[in-house]
Amino acid sequence: MSQTRRYGAFAHRSPVGGWSHEFTSFGGMTDTTQTESTARAPFAPWDRRDIPGSFSVDETARRVGNYKWTEMKLFEALGGWVATVPELDVKMRLGTHCYHHAWHADLWHKRLPELREMKPERLTVPANAAMERFIEAMTEPEAPELTIEKLVGVYRVLIPRFIAAYTYHRNNTSEITDAPTIRSINFILQDEYDDWRDGEMLLQSLITTSTHVERAAAHQAKLEALMVEAGGITGFDSIGMGTHTITEGGA
Amino acid sequence: MRQFFPVEDLARDERFVQTNMAERMKDGRTAIELKESSAKSRGASKRLTPERHDASDAARGLMHGIMVGEIQALEGAGRTAHDFAAGDGTNDTVPFELKLDMARQAWDEARHVEISAKLSDWMGTELGEFAENTVLFEAACSNDPILRLAGVNRALEGLAIDVFTQMKEFGDIAGDPYLEFCEDWMLADEVTHVKMGSDWLRKVTANDPDRRNKALEFQQVVDKLFSFGGARGESPESSFTLAKRFRELAGFTDDEVKTISEMDAEALAERRAAVLRYREKVGADAPA
Repeated sequence: MSQTRRYGAFAHRSPVGGWSHEFTSFGGMTDTTQTESTARAPFAPWDRRDIPGSFSVDETARRVGNYKWTEMKLFEALGGWVATVPELDVKMRLGTHCYHHAWHADLWHKRLPELREMKPERLTVPANAAMERFIEAMTEPEAPELTIEKLVGVYRVLIPRFIAAYTYHRNNTSEITDAPTIRSINFILQDEYDDWRDGEMLLQSLITTSTHVERAAAHQAKLEALMVEAGGITGFDSIGMGTHTITEGGA
Repeated sequence: MRQFFPVEDLARDERFVQTNMAERMKDGRTAIELKESSAKSRGASKRLTPERHDASDAARGLMHGIMVGEIQALEGAGRTAHDFAAGDGTNDTVPFELKLDMARQAWDEARHVEISAKLSDWMGTELGEFAENTVLFEAACSNDPILRLAGVNRALEGLAIDVFTQMKEFGDIAGDPYLEFCEDWMLADEVTHVKMGSDWLRKVTANDPDRRNKALEFQQVVDKLFSFGGARGESPESSFTLAKRFRELAGFTDDEVKTISEMDAEALAERRAAVLRYREKVGADAPA
């Protein structure tokens, strides 16, 4: 006798998003000779996505515009640096990562009209003037002997900030209304983790003397200070802290 | 970082030795037959076939040339993604999507460098064993992005189609499926890059016929330069032929293919004449 597995009553969400555990015949078996109901709750018991999110449409568009601007600056820098680094393996990684960030910029470019911004260029801007200064400083090294500085700026300062901002966005936006942004962020974050790992390993292979260590640390400190001034990829609310005040000895 | 990057500053490690087209053409080892050769004359054909006594060295040299060409193509695509702001295609700007295509090409070229390095190793070649001709990157240094597309994507990537077709055939005839497999994949990317160049050239210059003509003229100059004095053509003295079918796939019209074919023949005739003049000047014993 063929039997089919079906769910009984699903758990119900309370209006405040909690669960009222009313599983009745979940996972039970039933006789198919009876008329089988196809009525199911809109959310399966394992689906815990919820409506509330921290960002309005306009706020999401602003953040996405900042992401696009910064991803563009990053892919342009990586593309430009390819010709300036003598190390063949670094050269090839920069070319590969250049495309990753161009693709991210494209994803955000296409998301903006979906967020009611029909002129994506209007929101393709840095979070603030300090962010612009950061990018200028990050892209300043050009000489062939400055590979460490080039990689430090990207893989020890900017990409960690991207990972932070994207993670904050993903964890705080509405899982239902803003699902397209979350989907893009998930793809992008995977690239960011992979690229960060590549870059960090290249740096570890290049930093082999105390002089190298000092160079890397000094450049990172210089850029990190500019990034702190900028507050992050989307400004001071990049990871939800939302304050401009820097307190000595800890915030 | 500067907006434009000169060819002299291309960063290389100490293994690489760079040269340019003028130096290469002066090299006696690139000698050609002065008379129209018959198919039977020994050594008359410069086609890369396993029967050639120097097939191994010729294939290794060509593969090294492909690898350094891919490095420069990677650098050129990266620079075009960097050097021009996103805009409507006028006043030193390029469409945003064109920048994305250049970034994509940079990734493809990076893979080609990886493939070529593996193949070079497979064929027993050391990095830097042969000189690097920097002419490809020179074509990527124009201040007009459309000229770069014409020179690099259409002329040089077009040349890559011809060379990869030749290498793929060589791999097939020589019984080297590894070589044939790799060339087949790179060939697919090159067709994409050439088509990219053809499409953007038409789009960006749709309302600017003067700019389009300048770009096409530049392409012809690069095409002729890369005929290597007849290295590409239908003559048996030419090292490789024009891959007409793949060029059609990449957006070349029949007329364009015919023009390149005629230029190749002219380049061979001009080179023969130049070698004759040189011999008359310095004596018959001078190297060709």
